[in-house]
Amino acid sequence: MKKFKDIEEIPKIVIVGHVDHGKSSLIGRLMYELDQVPDGKYEELKKVSEKRGMDFEFAFLLDALQAERDQGITIDTTQIFFKTKKRNYVFIDAPGHKEFIKNMITGAASADIAILIVDVDEGIKAQTKKHAYILKLLGIKKVITLFNKMDKINYDENKYLQVRKQLEEYLTKINIKALNNIPISAKIGDNISTKSKKISWYDGKPLVNVLDNYNCNDNQMENILRFPVQDIYKVSDKRIIVGRIESGKINLGDELLVMPSNEKVKIKSFEEWPKPKKEYNTGDCLGLTLSDEIFVDKGNIISHPNKPPKLMNTFEANLFWLNDKKMDLSKKYQLKINTGEYTVNIRKVNKIIDTESLESTNKKIPNKNDVSEVVIHSSQLIPMDDYNVLTKTARFCLLDENEIVAGGIASLQNYPDQKELNSSSNIKPINFDVTEVDRASRFNHRSGVIWMTGLSGSGKSTIAKEVERKLFSKDFNVFVLDGDNLRMGLNRGLSFSPEDRTENIRRTAEVAKLFTDAGFIVIVSLISPYRSERKKARDIRPEYFREIYVKSSLEECIKRDVKGLYAKAIRSEIKDFTGISAPYEEPLSPDLTVDTEQEEIEESVLKLESFIIEEFSIKK
Amino acid sequence: MDRHLKKLENDSIYIFRQAYRSIDNIAMLWSLGKDSNVMVWLAFKAFFGKIPFPLVHVDTKKKFKEMYEFRDRYEKEWNLNLIKGDCPPVEKIDPSLPPAARSAARKTDGLKKILKQYKFKGVVAGIRRDEQGTRAKERIFSPRDETGKWDIKNQPPEFWDQSNFNYPDGVHIRIHPLLGWTEIDIWKYIKSQKIPVVDLYFSKNGKRYRSLGDKDITSPVNSNAKNIDEIIEELQTTKVSERSGRAMDHEQEDVFEKLRSKGYM
Repeated sequence: MKKFKDIEEIPKIVIVGHVDHGKSSLIGRLMYELDQVPDGKYEELKKVSEKRGMDFEFAFLLDALQAERDQGITIDTTQIFFKTKKRNYVFIDAPGHKEFIKNMITGAASADIAILIVDVDEGIKAQTKKHAYILKLLGIKKVITLFNKMDKINYDENKYLQVRKQLEEYLTKINIKALNNIPISAKIGDNISTKSKKISWYDGKPLVNVLDNYNCNDNQMENILRFPVQDIYKVSDKRIIVGRIESGKINLGDELLVMPSNEKVKIKSFEEWPKPKKEYNTGDCLGLTLSDEIFVDKGNIISHPNKPPKLMNTFEANLFWLNDKKMDLSKKYQLKINTGEYTVNIRKVNKIIDTESLESTNKKIPNKNDVSEVVIHSSQLIPMDDYNVLTKTARFCLLDENEIVAGGIASLQNYPDQKELNSSSNIKPINFDVTEVDRASRFNHRSGVIWMTGLSGSGKSTIAKEVERKLFSKDFNVFVLDGDNLRMGLNRGLSFSPEDRTENIRRTAEVAKLFTDAGFIVIVSLISPYRSERKKARDIRPEYFREIYVKSSLEECIKRDVKGLYAKAIRSEIKDFTGISAPYEEPLSPDLTVDTEQEEIEESVLKLESFIIEEFSIKK
Repeated sequence: MDRHLKKLENDSIYIFRQAYRSIDNIAMLWSLGKDSNVMVWLAFKAFFGKIPFPLVHVDTKKKFKEMYEFRDRYEKEWNLNLIKGDCPPVEKIDPSLPPAARSAARKTDGLKKILKQYKFKGVVAGIRRDEQGTRAKERIFSPRDETGKWDIKNQPPEFWDQSNFNYPDGVHIRIHPLLGWTEIDIWKYIKSQKIPVVDLYFSKNGKRYRSLGDKDITSPVNSNAKNIDEIIEELQTTKVSERSGRAMDHEQEDVFEKLRSKGYM
C-alpha cells in the first residue's frame, strides 16, 4: 500500500439528490465493493429482505433502523466510515425526502466533498435543484455529479448527455462547478470502484479514483486571524481566555485586537494542559492570558490589529428557513455566530427564491424550507466577516425560544461597518449656538462628571445625596445619577452579568456626558466594578472626569448591609453580587478617595464638596 | 499526534467547553471503558487539568473485578469528583425485552435516577457513530424528554457548531464529544497520550475484550493482540464488529434501537 503524506485526514463526503435517486444504494454498493461489509451482514440482510418479500437493495446495508426499512426512505443523517486503498472517508448519507432538509443541512454543513446524484432515467427533479442550491448556501463551490441507474436506460450516451446538459446549466447559474460527471449504476456496480465496460464511451475515471484524487484543501484567506472567545476561565489566579482559532495563527509575541471593544492588547501567556506550545494554528483550541486587564467577553472576536473583522448592526443574509412556523418580522430572534449570541430582528425580506427557476417568488414571508434574502438588524454591534472574505465567521443560525429556525450566511457590502462609521464622518454632530463657555459663565462653574465607585454599602448614595444638596444650595447646577434609580428606567432589563454591567456603565457614561453638555456637574453613584469600563467612561471626556473611590472594606459593608443584599448574596439568593460572587476592581489611581470606614460621613461629604468646588468653580 | 487525531481532539475540547458554558448543571458518565477514559483525558485538556463537574459511574454491580480496581485507583490518582450510582434489580425492568437487553436496561434506569437526584441538565456520554447503527444517527447535543426518551425522527438541526441549548424544564441534553471518533482513533489516541485502560482489552489465551460491559452479557473475541500496537493493527483489517461480544445487541434485529429510544446511552 502506498503511503501518502496526508493519509491521516479523513474527508467527509455528503451525497445529496432527489428521493429515490440512489444515495443510500450508492454507499451500500461502495461498502460491498470495497469489502467493508461486516461478515455475515450482507447475508443477514438478504435473509431479512426475503422474509419480508422484498428484493435486496444495497441501501439496506445502511438503513440500520427498522423504521427506515419499513418506510423505504432514509430518515436521518447517518455517518459511515469507509476506506479505499488510498485513504479513509466518512460518508454522510443525506436524506432526500422533502420533509428532511434540516437533516441534510446538519450532515452537509461539515462536508469536504459533495456528490450530487441524479436518476438519469427520471432526470432532474425539484429536490435535485433544491439540494444543489442549499449546498451553495452551505459554502460548497464544487460537486461531483453522478448519473445513476444507467442500466435502466441501456447505457445510452445521448440520454446521459441530455440530462447532464440540463444539470450543468442549473449549476452554472448558482455558481457551482461540476468537477466530474460520472455515469454509474449503483445497482449493477458500473463505474463505482472499477471502470464499466458497458460504458466504453465514458473516458473518465470511476468514482473511487475520482474521490481518491480529490483535493479537499481549499484554503480561503487562511492567514487572517479570527479567534472567537468561547469562554473565560479562572484557573488558580489566572484569567484564561479560551476558544478555537477559526482562521490564521497566533504567536506568543503578537499584538491582538479585541472586537467590539476595539482595544489592543498583548498576549501574556499561552495555556494548555499539560503544557502549552509557542504557536497555534487554524483549528486549534487554546487558552491565553493577556498582558492588560481589559474587558473581554464571550463572543468577542480577537484578530490582529491590521485585519479586524467588521462590526455590523445591520447586514444582508441568505437564509434557509427550517421551522414549521414561518418567519415573523415582528419577532425577536437569537442570532448565534461563532461563540457570540445576539438579539436580532429580520427587518425586511428582499426576496424568496424559487430554487427551481431561481426567480424571485410572489411570496412575502418565508416558510419551511424556503430560501430567502433578508436584512437583519441588531441593537448590538456584531463582529463578523463577509461570506466571500471568510466563511467561518460569516455564517450563523437563528433561534426562537427553544429551537434553531434558520441558518444563513452574511453579506456585508451594502451596509456600513460601524467601526469605520464611528471614526469617520458619516454622522456629523451639529453645533449649537449656546456654547459650553456660555453655560459655564452663567453657572459660574464648568461642567464635570464625578464618578463615584465602590462596593454596595460603601456610602456612595448617602454622600452623593448630601453633596448634591449642599452644592445646589450654593447655586451649583448639579444632579445625581444613581445606579439603582437608573436601573428602574434607562437600564431596566439589564442584569448583573458582566456584559450587562458593561452596557449599564456605557449608558450611564453617555447620559453623564449629555449632562455635561448641558453644563451640569453630574455625580454618578455606581458600583462600576471593572477598571476597564471606568476607563471607557473617563475616555468620553477625560478633562471633565474625576474618579472618586468610596472606600470601605468588604467586611464593613457586609456588617452595614443597609439593604440586606449581602445576606441574600451570601445565601446565593442573588447572582453576580459584587464582592461576593462577582469581582470588584478597586481604582489604581483615583482622583480622590473618601474612606467611609475611617471617616465620619460628614467628613467625607465635606471632602468631596471642597474637591468639586476646587476643581470646577470659575474663580472670579 | 497526527493531524486527524489533533482535529478530533480539538473538536472534542470545543464540545466540552460549549457544553460547560451553555448547560447549567452537567455531569460526565465514566463507564471505565477505553472511550470513557479518553473522554476524561479530553476533559482534563478542556479545563486545564481539573474537571469542573462530577463524573458518574452507573454501577450495575456486575462489572469485571479489573474494572472496579481500575475505578478505585484512578478515582484517587486523577482526583475525580465521582458519583457512584446503583441500578434497580432486573425484575423491575420491562419484561418484554429479551434477557440481555433487559439486563442492560438496568443502567438506563440507574442513570435516570441519578439525573433526577442531582437535577443534571446535561450528561456527557462517550458514544461513537461507528459503534452501532442507531448511534450513527445521533446529534452532538441530543435532547431527551422527562422520561429519557429519544425522538429519533424529530431531532434538532445542528450545523456549523451551533446547537440549541434552551429546552423546557425536565429535558436533559446528552453531550457526545466522541461522536466523530472511530474505534481505531480511540486506540491511536490512547497510545499517543499514554492513557491507562483496563487490561481486559489485551489478549490472553487468544481472546480479548473489544468492548466492556456487564460480565454476564459480555464475551471476549478471538484475538492475539497483546498490546496497543497490535490492537491498532488488528482493527485495520478486522471485519468483526466492535460490539459483537455484547449479547444485548444481537438478540433481536432492532433491540438496540428500542433500548436507545428509551434512554440507553
